[in-house]
Parts: sequence; structure tokens; C-alpha cells
Amino acid sequence: MREILKLENVWVGNQEVKILRDINFEVKEREILSIVGESGCGKSLTLRTIIKLLPKNLKLLEGKIYFEEKDITEFQDMEKIRGKKIGMIFQEPSSYLNPLFTIGNQIEEAIKNGKDRKNKKDRVFKILEEMGLSKNVYYQYPHQLSGGMQQRAMIAMAIINNPYLLLADEPTTALDITTAFGIVNLLKNLVNIHNMSIIFVTHDISLASFISDKIIVMYAGIIVEKGNAELIYNNPFHPYTKKLINCLPEKYQKGERIKVIDGEVPTYKNLPKGCPFNPRCEYKIEICEKKLPEEIALENRDVRCFKYGKIMES
Amino acid sequence: MKIVLKRLKKRNKISYISFCIIIFLYSVAFFADFIAPYPYNKQFREYPLCPPTRIHFFDHNKNFHLRPFVYEIKLVNPALNQYEVIKNKIYPVYFFVKGEKRKILGIFTSERYLFGTKQGKIFLFGTDIHGRDIFSRILYGARISLSIGVIGVSISFVLGFLIGGISGYFGGKIDNLLMRLVEIFMMFPSFYLMLALRAVFPLNLSSFQIYILIVVILSLIGWAGLARIIRGMVLSIKEEEYVLAAKALGLSTFKIIFRHIIPNTSSYTITAITLSIPGYILGESALSLLGLGIQEPYPSWGNMLSVSVGNLRILSTAPWMLIPGFFIFLTIICFNFLGDGLRDVLDPKNW
Repeated sequence: MREILKLENVWVGNQEVKILRDINFEVKEREILSIVGESGCGKSLTLRTIIKLLPKNLKLLEGKIYFEEKDITEFQDMEKIRGKKIGMIFQEPSSYLNPLFTIGNQIEEAIKNGKDRKNKKDRVFKILEEMGLSKNVYYQYPHQLSGGMQQRAMIAMAIINNPYLLLADEPTTALDITTAFGIVNLLKNLVNIHNMSIIFVTHDISLASFISDKIIVMYAGIIVEKGNAELIYNNPFHPYTKKLINCLPEKYQKGERIKVIDGEVPTYKNLPKGCPFNPRCEYKIEICEKKLPEEIALENRDVRCFKYGKIMES
Repeated sequence: MKIVLKRLKKRNKISYISFCIIIFLYSVAFFADFIAPYPYNKQFREYPLCPPTRIHFFDHNKNFHLRPFVYEIKLVNPALNQYEVIKNKIYPVYFFVKGEKRKILGIFTSERYLFGTKQGKIFLFGTDIHGRDIFSRILYGARISLSIGVIGVSISFVLGFLIGGISGYFGGKIDNLLMRLVEIFMMFPSFYLMLALRAVFPLNLSSFQIYILIVVILSLIGWAGLARIIRGMVLSIKEEEYVLAAKALGLSTFKIIFRHIIPNTSSYTITAITLSIPGYILGESALSLLGLGIQEPYPSWGNMLSVSVGNLRILSTAPWMLIPGFFIFLTIICFNFLGDGLRDVLDPKNW
């Protein structure tokens, strides 16, 4: 399978803080990759690094980004890639749609090729139908739609040009569970129908393991564990992934107390030395406080932990 | 457009009525050639400062006439401009009456006008010192006074959007430079700036040149404050999520500014546009009042008013000379109401 996207040793930050550190991963054709982690661990930032829409105070410090095996790190004409080859959908559809224009109008605007107006309208109708929306939606304003419909409209906008890669930044977080699963099924279908790869960012590791082929677990700007989705969900190696999975309610009986992870997520200004997870880690050894562990390649996964072998046994 | 009007009619009666009045005023100004009974520069030397002619249906014998008529009037005391009505001379008022040949809209000539008398004179709003019909002059003056607002506003809004939009969106050095420029314009009191700008240009220009000059001067004053406000709004709107989404869709900077950012300032700008049109009408009036605007014999509401305001005796003996002021007032208040109504109606969230 072809590699659609590859990040190599990507560092993002500014002079004061480094937020993303040494990010390496690749996405293959027709693959769904999930990025999970707590709030503020750099998931969304990773997506925005790929599409080069970083907040003003941050920039790409180091590393290379390859898209379709071409180096786009220094690429200036991102307008040619955004929307056309890489689509993006966001967390809260209501605020990511322009309140002043009808849905049809906004989707049409996203169409990059083709000048014919009638043809464009037909294409919009087609994509709305594919998204399970009625033709009426074309003439409606964002505030007249429900959250789920808005998200479908956003997805329609993002995929109307048939991009190779869809970046989904927590598309289900603001939705209720049934609508969320509707959206998830929709995304899964896209992979088959449009030959699309998806990077799916979410808090929910069980949802991630359900929809994706691969999972990346991030903590404080580094990838702590990445690999086959099912494998990681059923048998996590990194202590952070373990604890994260241990926080899921389905792992507990009714009335039991859920074991949350002790301690706080460190702020980027006072990151602990060495492995950022070491203050909250129960398997901490001396070296954890001194050195950031390298990514260790194991069978079907990479783990960034000094003690991965021993943890596995305990 | 139709939907907007429908909503306006339903939600805000006053602004709908204002809108109708504005449309009426503009169409009257457009067809002034046809509606006005006399040309704007036609002087009736024997009728200076004649009071408004009364239109009657009953004559002095209490006989009813189906066709309205006017009496003959005669100047009895030229020193005090006193007139006498001669009751046995009756001149009926006809529609589509024949008169002098005149060009209509500068294209075709006509000798029939909306209304008039075959003999005798009809001065609906009286006459001025030179015996010119004020009603006709108001119609012709409306062309200048009403168009100056719209054209002036469009020029200064284009400038304001362009400079404010660029300044707010790009920020940094461009922003700094443009905003200092804006401050230079805002620093001067606008009235003196207007006078100073007018003083730069010669006085003996043709009326059309003066008209263009006034429009340019007024819009040069108007854009600065607007650019400031647009910049501020753009600064906040460009951080909105839908702008990020538009960027992620790969839209060009131009499209993002003019389709996603500027339209979202519309709740403010639509009101601002309608509210600033009166400023231009008043600005023209003020210039004309000082004799720096539209020159006689061309009428504008401002210079018609200036004659009467400059002369206290005229004010007391011929109050009909103030009628142009009423039209300025009417236009301004209508634009204000319309602006208020439009702001409510145009926001899709209120639908």
C-alpha cells in the first residue's frame, strides 16, 4: 500500500517551549489512524502541523512532512493541497460553519475544479445525499440544523473534492452517542467508497480502537505508543496507555470507583525532565527522570518507555 | 431582496414605511424632468416670493368643480411681496398638460408634463426671490442631494473595507502604517478638513465638476473612521473558527477576507451605511450653505436652504423657503429607521 502521509522527527514550538517533540508516523492508503490522549497533549496541533495552519506563536522547528511521498515541509502553495488533497473537519461544527451562508453555498464554495454552476449544484446534491442529508439542507443556514446534520455538512465540505486524506479533529466530541456513531460509520464508509485515508483524533480510546487500523497514543507532546489498534486496546504496553484504558467505565462493575490517573498533565512550560509521564508513573526508575526514552520498535507497535519489557510481565 | 422586504414589512413597520418613502423620493428625483411643472432655472420675475398656490375644488360661490383649479394671483405690493388672489379668474389644473419643450433624462424631448395649468401659474411650494418654482427646484435638487449620499457612501465604504480589511487581516507593519494614515485623517475636525479640501480647488468650476469634487471630498473624510472599525471587527472575526475552517478548505486569502470576514461585519456596516448617508446629504448642504457647494442656478437642497437661512426677513415673511429643509429631515429620518430595521432583518440568526 502507498504511503499517503509521513511525519519524520517533527518538532513544533517556539523559543520558549517545545510542544510537539519528535513526532514520527505514517499513514497508508485507505487506512484509519486514530490519535488519542488527554486534552492538551498535542493531538489537534499535530493535525494543524500537517495542514500547516499552526497558531501564530508556534512554528515547525525541525523535521520533515511528506505527502504522497513528496516533501511538503517547505511547500508554500498550501492552498493547492488544502481542501483538494487534504480535507479537515472540526470538533464543533456549529462554530466552524459560517453563519451567514447557506449550507449549499458553503459546500459549493469548497469545490475547487469545475466552473459550471449547474454542475456544481448537482455535485452538492449528490454529496448531501451520500451524507444522508435531504436536498432541503442545501437551502438552509447552519443554525437551522442539528449538531449531527452540521457535522455531516462539514464532512461533505471536506470531502467534496475527493481528498486523499481526511483530518478529523474530534468530530464526534460535541455530539450525542447515537449521532456520534452515525458519523463514525459515515467516516468508515468514506474509506471504502472514496479510497480515503483518515486521521481521527479523539479522547475516546475505545471508539478509536473500534474504528481504526492504527492507534497513536500521545502524552504531553510525544507519541508514547503507536501500533495496531486492537493490539494496543487489548494489551497496552506503555504505562500511560494502560492507565488510560483503565479509566474506561466499561472496565468496571456498577458502583465501583473508577481509577483515574493520579496527578496532573504537566504544562509545557514546566515539563518534567526525562519522560514527561514519570511523575505519574508507578513503574518509574532512575533513568526516567534523566532521559527522554527513544521509540522502541516491537512487534506491531512502537513504545516510548524504558521498562516496556518488564511492564509486560507484571 | 424580496425576502428581506417581506421580513421588513412583517417585523418592522416603521422601517418598511421609511423604505417606501426613500424609494418614492428617489423615483421622484429620477423623473424630475417629467413631474416638475417648470424648469429649475425658469424665473417668473413678476412672482418673487410668491406663497404656495392653493388648489381649490369649490369656487367663491361655493360651486363644486370636479377638476381642481387655481385662482389668478397678482403682486400688489412689490416692496413687501404681498399678493392678492383674483377670484373671478379660474385656471383648471390638468394632468399631462402641454408646456415648453424640455429634455427628459437628457435623452428624449417632451412637451407634456405630469400636471400644470394652461394659463396662470401653479407654485405648489411657492417661489423664491427670483420667482423660481420651489417645488420644481426641490425635485431637481433631490437628484443632487440624494445621489451624493449614495455615491459618497459607496466610495468611502469601498475605501474603508479595503483598507480596514487588509489592515486587520494582515496585521503587523501594514496594519501599523495604514492605521497611522487613518489617524491623520481622523485628527482634523471633519468640517474644517472639508473646508480646507474645498479651498484647495478653484471656485470657478462647472457644476458637474463641483458635484464630483464634493462627492470625493465627502468620501475622503468618511472612510477613515469606518476603516478603523472594520479593522477592529476583522481582527476579532479572523480568529473565528469558521475562518480557520475556510483556510483548511484551501480558500484563497482574498476569498477568505471578502466572503467570510467582511460579510460577518455586515450587522454593523449595513446600519453604518444607512446611518452615514444623511451625513453626506448634510455635508453637501453645509458646503452649499457656505456657498462652496453646488452653485446657482443649479439647485440642491442645501443651497436652496442657504438663501433662506441667510436672510432673516425672508425667514419670517416667506417660511415656504424652508421646505427643502423638511425634505433633508425626511430623508435622514427615513434612512435612520431603515438602517435600524435592516440590522434586525439581515441577521440570519433572527429569522
